Amino acid sequence: MMIKAIFYKEWIKTRWYWLLALLLSIGFAGYAMLRVARVYSMKGAEHLWIVMIQRDAIFVDLLQFVPLFVGLALALVQFVPEMHHKSFKLTLHLPIRATRAVTAMLSFGSVLLIATFALSLALMWGYLQSVLAPELWQHIILSTLPWYLAGLAAYLLTAWISLEPTWKHRVINGVIALLLLRIYFMSPAPESYNSFLPLLAVVTLSYSLLSMLSLTRFRDGRQD
Amino acid sequence: MENVIECRNLTHYYGKRLIYEDLSFDVPRGRILGLLGKNGTGKTTTINILSGFLQPRSGECLILGEKIGEMNPLTRRKISLLIEGHVQYQFMTIEQIERFYASFYPSWNKAAYYELMSRLQVAPHQRINRMSCGQRSQVALGLILAQNAEVLVLDDFSLGLDPGYRRLFVDYMREYAKAENKTVFLTSHIIQDMERLIDDCIIMDYGKILVQQPISELLGKFRRYSAQVKEGFELKNTEGIYNPSVIRTSLELFSMKPEEEVKAQLACEGISDLTVERVGLEDAFIGLTGKY
Repeated sequence: MMIKAIFYKEWIKTRWYWLLALLLSIGFAGYAMLRVARVYSMKGAEHLWIVMIQRDAIFVDLLQFVPLFVGLALALVQFVPEMHHKSFKLTLHLPIRATRAVTAMLSFGSVLLIATFALSLALMWGYLQSVLAPELWQHIILSTLPWYLAGLAAYLLTAWISLEPTWKHRVINGVIALLLLRIYFMSPAPESYNSFLPLLAVVTLSYSLLSMLSLTRFRDGRQD
Repeated sequence: MENVIECRNLTHYYGKRLIYEDLSFDVPRGRILGLLGKNGTGKTTTINILSGFLQPRSGECLILGEKIGEMNPLTRRKISLLIEGHVQYQFMTIEQIERFYASFYPSWNKAAYYELMSRLQVAPHQRINRMSCGQRSQVALGLILAQNAEVLVLDDFSLGLDPGYRRLFVDYMREYAKAENKTVFLTSHIIQDMERLIDDCIIMDYGKILVQQPISELLGKFRRYSAQVKEGFELKNTEGIYNPSVIRTSLELFSMKPEEEVKAQLACEGISDLTVERVGLEDAFIGLTGKY
């Protein structure tokens, strides 16, 4: 019941942004598919295959930073209102363990984000599997996965920064977050993260623990 | 009488600056206690410690017998918190915020909330961030009444309110707390409001408590004395005298000692033509803490 109420609060904050994020993510994915469709209709499937194999083209490069910005903005929409006038104190005064409340908030945002990304991926898969061989559509989808993980990482790291009570530490956390996000964009070659993806996913999820550090610092009364 | 709030030997510093040392006080059940002090004496620090948002350097506070740092989250159902400036979730409407909080409190009194909201000139779908501070104070008050907690902690409830809303808040709160035997711990920077509301007061000076007693007792014995003196006059014996000041030829001082004792003490310094006045809480506060 109490967790449901927290979800309700998070839904009120994020619902309009989520609609926008969904339209944006699906819009970009759809546009990328239109580009593939155009090449397919003008030059045929053979040309697509050749370009992909010989030139390492994946046709979805424009999606690279979309999940990152979607995740970052979601965290801002969700956590900045909590820090406005320190209304986070209201959340921490609720009769629920503070770590449970923050976990519920992060889980809500993560599920929203994963659902958004899953819909974009489903759209791409739906079209690509109709025109490409399994090896080729898997090649494209696998190449985009680090970008979507970067979106989730951006969300969790921005939540950590937003919940931090002092500006000095927010700046330090921001620099650390930038360095951590760099990891997701280090190699431009398609599928270069394949063997590293499971570990990267675990590391990404572990960023949720950083928000607990901010929570502890907030409750200890740290201030500038 | 059972103590609902107990603070023992609180010491806190911000960096190297001492806020207070070995501060101890209790709030018995059913009493309304106001914490008064100048800026920087530690009022907000004390509220933050009591609300669990600040770990004191040493000492401990208990509410309803539980240490604040180790409190069972469900105990917080019995504690209402009003944050400075009547802060509430700005992104919610009157209806949404009621629906949200109702899930956390089994004895939630929805009718009490909507009874108060019906007097506000706002639509049920109006978001809180589009309300005036006075309207927000009524939303916060409505939520407190609906929560029906045993203990109320109110941080600077006057902040941002015009006199009408301040009076409304004070009168509502006083009647509610007395009728329902609630224990209230509060701060406000407007002392006239406190005088109408509180039973007991703690007056803090930098680093220490100056006075902790029922307000009726304090105002019953606290007096302002004034007299005409020669320019350059300086009081020698200041025992039991608070903040004597001379402006040109006007002497003013305060004391809690019996009038006859003060008159005798001042007569020894050649002062006989004294004017003695009873004072309100604001003058008592200034008399105890000084103007500077």
